[in-house]
Amino acid sequence: MRETRFWSLHILVVPLILILLGAHFAIMHYAPIFYAMSVEKAREFATMIERGKSVGQFVIYILLLAAGLYHGLYGTRGILRELPLPATLAKWVDVGMVIFGVTIFALGVYVTWWTFSFDWGG
Amino acid sequence: MKNNQPARRLGLRGWVYAGKYSFERYLYLGHRLSGLGLVAYMVLHIVETANRMRGEQAWAELMALFASPPFKVIEYLLFALAVFHAMNGIRLFLVELAFFSGKPQEPVYPYKSSVLKHRPLTYVVMILAGLLMALGGSSLFFP
Repeated sequence: MRETRFWSLHILVVPLILILLGAHFAIMHYAPIFYAMSVEKAREFATMIERGKSVGQFVIYILLLAAGLYHGLYGTRGILRELPLPATLAKWVDVGMVIFGVTIFALGVYVTWWTFSFDWGG
Repeated sequence: MKNNQPARRLGLRGWVYAGKYSFERYLYLGHRLSGLGLVAYMVLHIVETANRMRGEQAWAELMALFASPPFKVIEYLLFALAVFHAMNGIRLFLVELAFFSGKPQEPVYPYKSSVLKHRPLTYVVMILAGLLMALGGSSLFFP
């Protein structure tokens, strides 16, 4: 039952990823089409900080980070668990994935928070 | 837990060994490989964007590197991987939920493959993926 819940969550986050990643692509990679802004301008430090200070942007990035990491690492774990691994090693794959995922998520949240709370004068 | 099922005994070889290959089998392989590529990129991307904490100058230097032609090509390949993975994922989602598979039937010999029933969906989704890749490429390389 627990595995079913993990799998269902892996599928349920897909619409969220599609919408948020689509927005990310539109802002960062296709700014000339969607925002009449050059890609270079969209990636400038000042533009990035200005964008990162918005609450909406902060929430979108944390959600995308969580959904993307969960979907990706759950899929990777599934691929690894299909290999003929000994039970102990299979258990370590699970533990390793959780530790790795939490670490990368923490780094992503920290960088997003750093941008959100950036002070030009500080 | 014993790994004595034939499919699992094949290990990595089982990814590409499927006896009689079909188009969907290649999509399965492509979905996995693109997924692994995207996970690797996502992790690198999170680490790379942390570079902003080193200041404006360091960020500008990194962005200048990413604006160079080799990185433009890599960026496009990543975009293409993401489009393929997403479109094939939508197909899998629909097939998993039994859309485009026809009505359930008695398993009477000669059996009909559900794969063939949703094959048109597969073609439509892959054509759409190709169009999106072409559109993305044109706006990336010819802004």
